[in-house]
Amino acid sequence: MEVFANEYPDEAWVVRAALGSAFVALAIGGLMGLIQTLHRTGFYDSLISNADYYTVLTLHGVAMVLLFTIFFLVGFFQWAITDSLGRKSEDIRITKLWYGMMVLGSAMSAVTILGGFVDSGSLSGVEADVLYTFYAPLEAHPLYYMGLAVFIIGTWIAGFDWFRSWWAWKKENPDERMPLRTFMVLTTMLMWYLASLGVAISVVFFLIPWSLGIFDSVNSLLTRTLFWFFGHPVVYFWLMPVYMMWYVIMPKLAGGRLFSDPLARIVFVLFLVLSVPTGIHHQYVDPGIAEGFKFLAMTNTMFLLLPSLLTAFTVVASIEHGARQRGGEGYFGWLTALPWGKPAFTGMTLAGLMFAAAGFSGMINAGMSINYLVHNTLWVVGHFHMTVGTAVALSIMAATYWFLPKITGREIFSRRLGLAQVLLWFIGMVLMGNAMHRAGLAGVPRRTADPTYDQVIYDGAYGAIGELRFQIALGGVLLSLSLVLFFAHLVLSSFDIGERAAATPDSIPAPLSGPEQAPKVLDNIRLWTSIAVVLILITYILPLASIVTDGGGWLGDSYGVIVAEYVLPAVSSTIDIFVGVVA
Amino acid sequence: MSSETETTEDGIVREIGHDEFDPVGTLALILIYFVIIGGLWAFMYFVEFLGNGPTVV
Repeated sequence: MEVFANEYPDEAWVVRAALGSAFVALAIGGLMGLIQTLHRTGFYDSLISNADYYTVLTLHGVAMVLLFTIFFLVGFFQWAITDSLGRKSEDIRITKLWYGMMVLGSAMSAVTILGGFVDSGSLSGVEADVLYTFYAPLEAHPLYYMGLAVFIIGTWIAGFDWFRSWWAWKKENPDERMPLRTFMVLTTMLMWYLASLGVAISVVFFLIPWSLGIFDSVNSLLTRTLFWFFGHPVVYFWLMPVYMMWYVIMPKLAGGRLFSDPLARIVFVLFLVLSVPTGIHHQYVDPGIAEGFKFLAMTNTMFLLLPSLLTAFTVVASIEHGARQRGGEGYFGWLTALPWGKPAFTGMTLAGLMFAAAGFSGMINAGMSINYLVHNTLWVVGHFHMTVGTAVALSIMAATYWFLPKITGREIFSRRLGLAQVLLWFIGMVLMGNAMHRAGLAGVPRRTADPTYDQVIYDGAYGAIGELRFQIALGGVLLSLSLVLFFAHLVLSSFDIGERAAATPDSIPAPLSGPEQAPKVLDNIRLWTSIAVVLILITYILPLASIVTDGGGWLGDSYGVIVAEYVLPAVSSTIDIFVGVVA
Repeated sequence: MSSETETTEDGIVREIGHDEFDPVGTLALILIYFVIIGGLWAFMYFVEFLGNGPTVV
């Protein structure tokens, strides 16, 4: 057995390229984050104007949550598929094609976002200050939507590529259970196909024709609902690869074995079934959607706590197993036997701890009544910086310290530097995340360049608003420093410095309770996908129908114009031709 | 600078199989988490209902 980079050089190239793209996005997004945190809190607001703030915010959102996370996950999934099935890509040209499409799509969208900084010249008018939540009535340049469409189609082809590997493997190994990592990748991708359908319909049928001027208007609530159809499950698209890291890498690092393979499969099945019919919980204050539909979305969302609680148990039990094998004793004494010196382990554990805290603020967001208290405030921003911004981002950075040697064939530069980096991120986010939650409770809005109003005085439950602003700014600076350390580490790891050993191959240990304990039905992904589709239909058909029938049709105000100018003439000429043929 | 590999520093001093492993430490941590969550749930009542004013922002 060899190191992955030597055994599968072509696949390792794609993995490295995808990670490289992810880290470029992380660097850009991180810089924008620093500018925002200093601008909004008033510590340094002369770098950009309030108008440019929304360009910065869009770039931060798109770079972080679409490009950084998804580029990393496609790289990680490519490794997971190749390594767990033990076979090369069926056709490396297809693998390179989807990666290329994702890069092309990112570049198209990035140009339009960056155009927001330019007020004159050839790029003037090329703008996409529509934030990552790109629904109407905010309108971007058509190239922005087209770029996102190309990017998403790239991910679809990636999923197809991985299914192809699985089909080929299955043909050669008809009696074997699906390897756990392959199972995780395929269930995640099925969830993604269902989820991204909403945004694909919104972009292709409404936003692109509208931004090209073919339609005068679109039904804003329809594009919003289609966005959130995708906008909530996308968070599980970020999270599920991280769960794979927690299930697969953490027990190994702790010196133990995964507690239960069947439980891990159940968790991924639950995500496939429940992730999509939840998006309406982002729209609790939207008029135009009846309360009953919102209640249904809340119920589905609360059920999603189940896979996360199962994960908390399984992952902690797995690392406890490692600690006890390393000699740990007692109810809490075993915690000292864990390998805290490994940045990959410590980073992922801190990320998991932060996720446990963020789970609580997530329950607040998901509750229909108490959501009104925090809706559109900085609380929500605090929540997702602790979830995607830490549970996901910190796990990704930490896992990189373990993962990089596999795909480059070289050890990382320094464990101590890695440890300092993950700790700094955690501390920075404790300050920023906590203060954002509290500022939200005091009523400070989100998505706002300068949240000060003459007639409003923010009143924190305790402590002054100035203290919260200071914590947010300080947290943001610490997070930026952590990013600088991370990138310095990546650069130093890519040179031969000192006497760093070459990476040694190692394998993922077998679970304590293996796949032979898992009921066969768990691998019946067709069944789980069908149940997911039924749940989506139950949750979405009626609200979408009422949004179209009561909310001004498919296109809002211009619907009548379109029908009169395009549809009716087309229909009547078709009838004429038909009558002509018959006669 | 690290020159050791993961295999030599796993530090495993004993093998524990499926049947000998009893994750009581996990139970202890999860109970603590539930106590915290329960406490915050009770605290929510004071934030939402005793805030002396409309809560819709």
